[in-house]
Amino acid sequence: MGRSAAIDRPSFNLGRRVNAALVIAAVVLFTVALRLWYLQVLKGSYFRDRSENNRIRTVFIPPPRGVIFDRWGQPVVRNRPAFNIEFVSEDSPNPSESLKALGEILSLDPAELKERLNNQSKRRRFEPKILLKDVSRDVVAKVAAHNYQLPGVVINVVPARDYMYGTFASHILGYIREITRPQLENSEFQGRGYLYRQGDLVGQYGIESKWEADLQGKRGMRGVIVNANGVRIGEASFESEMPGNSVNLTIDYDVQKAADEALKDKKGAIVALDPKSGEVLAISSAPAFDPNLFAGEISAQDWARLVTGKEKVLNNRAVQGSFPPGSVFKIFMSVAALSEGVINTKERINCPGHFSMGSRVFRCHKKEGHGAVNLIQAIQQSCDVFFYTVGNRLGVDRIHDYATLFGLGQLSGLDLVTEAPGLVPSTAWKKAYFRKPEMQKWYPGETPSVSIGQGAVTLTPLQIARGLAAVVNGGTLFRPRLILGGESSAGKWRFADFNSEVPVRTGIDPEVLKVVREGMEAVVNIPGGTGKRAQLDPIFNVTVAGKTGTAQVIGADAVKGGDHQDDHAWFAGYAPAEDPEIVVVALYENGGHGGVASAPLSKAVMEAYFRKQCTVPGGKCRMIPPKEKEESKKDGTKT
Amino acid sequence: MYFDRRILRYFDWGLLGLCLAITLCGLLVLYSAGYDPDNAQKIFPFTPFRSNAAPFYRQGFFILVGLIMMLAGASIPSQWLYRFAYPLYAVCVVLLAAVLAVGVIAKGSQRWLSLGPISFQPSEMMKLAAILCMSRYLSRAVPPAGGYRITGLIVPCLIFGLPMVLIMAQPDLGTALAIGAVGFAMVLFMGVRWRTMLLMGGCAVAAFVPAWEFLLHDYQKRRVMVLFNPEADPLGSGYHIIQSTIAVGSGLLFGKGFMQGTQTQLEFLPEHTTDFIFSVLAEEWGFVGCIFVLLLYALLIFKLLRVVNKSKDLFLSLVVLGVTAQVFLNAAINVGMVVGMLPVVGIPLPLFSYGGTSLISTMFALGIVLGISTRRWTYLVR
Repeated sequence: MGRSAAIDRPSFNLGRRVNAALVIAAVVLFTVALRLWYLQVLKGSYFRDRSENNRIRTVFIPPPRGVIFDRWGQPVVRNRPAFNIEFVSEDSPNPSESLKALGEILSLDPAELKERLNNQSKRRRFEPKILLKDVSRDVVAKVAAHNYQLPGVVINVVPARDYMYGTFASHILGYIREITRPQLENSEFQGRGYLYRQGDLVGQYGIESKWEADLQGKRGMRGVIVNANGVRIGEASFESEMPGNSVNLTIDYDVQKAADEALKDKKGAIVALDPKSGEVLAISSAPAFDPNLFAGEISAQDWARLVTGKEKVLNNRAVQGSFPPGSVFKIFMSVAALSEGVINTKERINCPGHFSMGSRVFRCHKKEGHGAVNLIQAIQQSCDVFFYTVGNRLGVDRIHDYATLFGLGQLSGLDLVTEAPGLVPSTAWKKAYFRKPEMQKWYPGETPSVSIGQGAVTLTPLQIARGLAAVVNGGTLFRPRLILGGESSAGKWRFADFNSEVPVRTGIDPEVLKVVREGMEAVVNIPGGTGKRAQLDPIFNVTVAGKTGTAQVIGADAVKGGDHQDDHAWFAGYAPAEDPEIVVVALYENGGHGGVASAPLSKAVMEAYFRKQCTVPGGKCRMIPPKEKEESKKDGTKT
Repeated sequence: MYFDRRILRYFDWGLLGLCLAITLCGLLVLYSAGYDPDNAQKIFPFTPFRSNAAPFYRQGFFILVGLIMMLAGASIPSQWLYRFAYPLYAVCVVLLAAVLAVGVIAKGSQRWLSLGPISFQPSEMMKLAAILCMSRYLSRAVPPAGGYRITGLIVPCLIFGLPMVLIMAQPDLGTALAIGAVGFAMVLFMGVRWRTMLLMGGCAVAAFVPAWEFLLHDYQKRRVMVLFNPEADPLGSGYHIIQSTIAVGSGLLFGKGFMQGTQTQLEFLPEHTTDFIFSVLAEEWGFVGCIFVLLLYALLIFKLLRVVNKSKDLFLSLVVLGVTAQVFLNAAINVGMVVGMLPVVGIPLPLFSYGGTSLISTMFALGIVLGISTRRWTYLVR
């Protein structure tokens, strides 16, 4: 009984201890108060923001991509509704049961379906996960019919890119595919006022890529109020998606189609230009690909064929392939020779079938020789000896200068893909290109080959078309272009209204060009010319002119003693001869003789063009109506 | 029966009032935190009445029960506390062992003992029993000048170590550590020699590595690690800390308003009626609301420590100190966890969090203090 012994101890001071405890408690509470001050006052607005974002989650609505039209407003790439079979786990009382049922209905493996769900585990619970992409209407009907058995399974309609005509103009249109990681991280790619997100489909090639910023559109956003379980409990905001801007190409659907069909099962390229504006009417490269393949899940086999294969299907041969032009080059040789006065229209040069220079002998393609020919005849019959002689008189550097004037060996400026520059040799080039001093010197014996478009000369089909356009339009070198205009929310626009680029005047004497054109008319229209197969059917009532080319291929195979490769067949032509509206350059790789293999390709393209002119507004129809034709036939039989 | 009129005259209305003020603040916050707009729940299985704010009514009921228990605790004669300190402790140890053997598993650990319709957590009882046991022992073993030596600490360590081990085995790390902290606070209050402190500190550090390796569960380790970088696992172990910090911070100075806390209402905040109720307070009432409640706790601690000082007997002082330490440490650990300064441990905020067991046992313990305070003229009769 009584007070405890401790209180009696002088050393035990209760009050002092209580005070110490009080101080500790005060310090701790003060620390907590400081922390609260830091969180709620100093960083409060940051956390307020975060709590807002926590509450409202954004669901994105993909925008329909802009439609691509041809020059007459015919759609060539559009969007179609694609049906996805999706799954919202939140809505299914028993997900694996639902998947099993779906598997049975569609005879698919439920395990695989489950695997697909698991691959999308990053998706939030209120967001549907994609089970099957872009299914057929059959599947949609089956799923819809069994809806009651499939809680959580939904059919969702999303816009899908539709390349309506398969391989049509594939090298121009390009393709879209999911944005790549480097693109996502590329500030230039992202810095166009639109922030891309993972999973966005973006143009990866062709017009789809070049005009991505226009075509993409703007995704819509739905602010969904959710709780922490990801369960949707309301909608806070809605921002409608904005469809992409449409684009009108300069290409003509029918001309492009004819070019594509002409190259079917071949290797080669066709370019068709409007020589008065540089507008591209068609660019076709074969083999082509189907851009639709890239939109979905691409099979390893297709990928190998398209992307990594030896054929380089994705290569746009018209722009990215450089080939020896062969005799097509003589068009520009003639312009150079006449302009420089090394020859006139009257001078005849004898062709004995070969041309000697020192110890070297250069052969003409016609063994027995053409005899004495003037320039027009030389162009008509593609006499090599004539041009060996002319080339010699010019020298390689003057050849190079004139070729450059017409854009040969130069980037054309077509805004589509990285162009191949091609090459027209010169003494300066040789000096810069080779390292050994003896290799750097230009030998006169190298010039004759260059004169007939062989040797080191390589050009792209587009360069030839552009150069030829300048020859036939009076000497104006246009920058080829593919965009005619487009339509955005601000309204329709035309490229021409914005284009401040002044085309380059070559400054060539029109008389010179007239002579060369006369030669090209002879090629197609005067017996003995190499290009008569380029003539159109008489009902078209159009005179074609042009130049054939047959370029020897000195490929790696030949050097190694492997298989001989057939010559590349060229035809570069235009029509109507008196007032050209279309320039066509056709290359048929390993096709043999230009006049035989390529001239018909040009013919097909030009016929499509002139047939189209009778149906489009402002087109100049020259075709003879069938009735009149019959009458003329009758007359013929009578006489 | 004899009624001492001094009980009315000396009755510690302030202590009772503070307790009530805190519980009522908690009740107000709980109305919002426990509000479920989609579901009207029965308040108790046997009541016909349904409400969307069922936890609020339940807690209200618990507060009434707690008040009764408080008065009951206050009316326990001080001598009884002394007399039954050891037996009660023994009973609690047995019950804890029983929990391990036959307890009900809830949320992955065994904490509950089911006796017919009533289930309860012996660990809650143990908290009080350990304080009483420790107080009785320490009051008879006053340290020499300079404080306890290592030998003097063996028995106190056993008194608190045994229940700690049993509770940790449930596993309930939070409660175990809370009990240990109370014991440590009591020993510290009595005085420990500096050299002994350093020695113990060294041992604690040395014991840390094996304890980390072998004693802690993976989820417990993650909870500690995540404190340093909660964003490393925002949807896993970092989730509580991140969501709680967001809730607290987004309250700003004056809060989002009653029932307006999005973190709470949209269920981002886990355990927002129990362990994380302080976040709800912070989100809806802001810095001002937090400081108000913290001041209430500060006043409570201040009052309790005055009772420690005024008690005429060291045993009673120690009992009050133990209860004070328990309330204070639980509050500090809970709030520290909510504001992201301490790892996530399952410790409710005393008098504030939703939950009958915690509330009633805390109120009962405070009732004992109330009794001691009211009968502060008493010299303990042993």
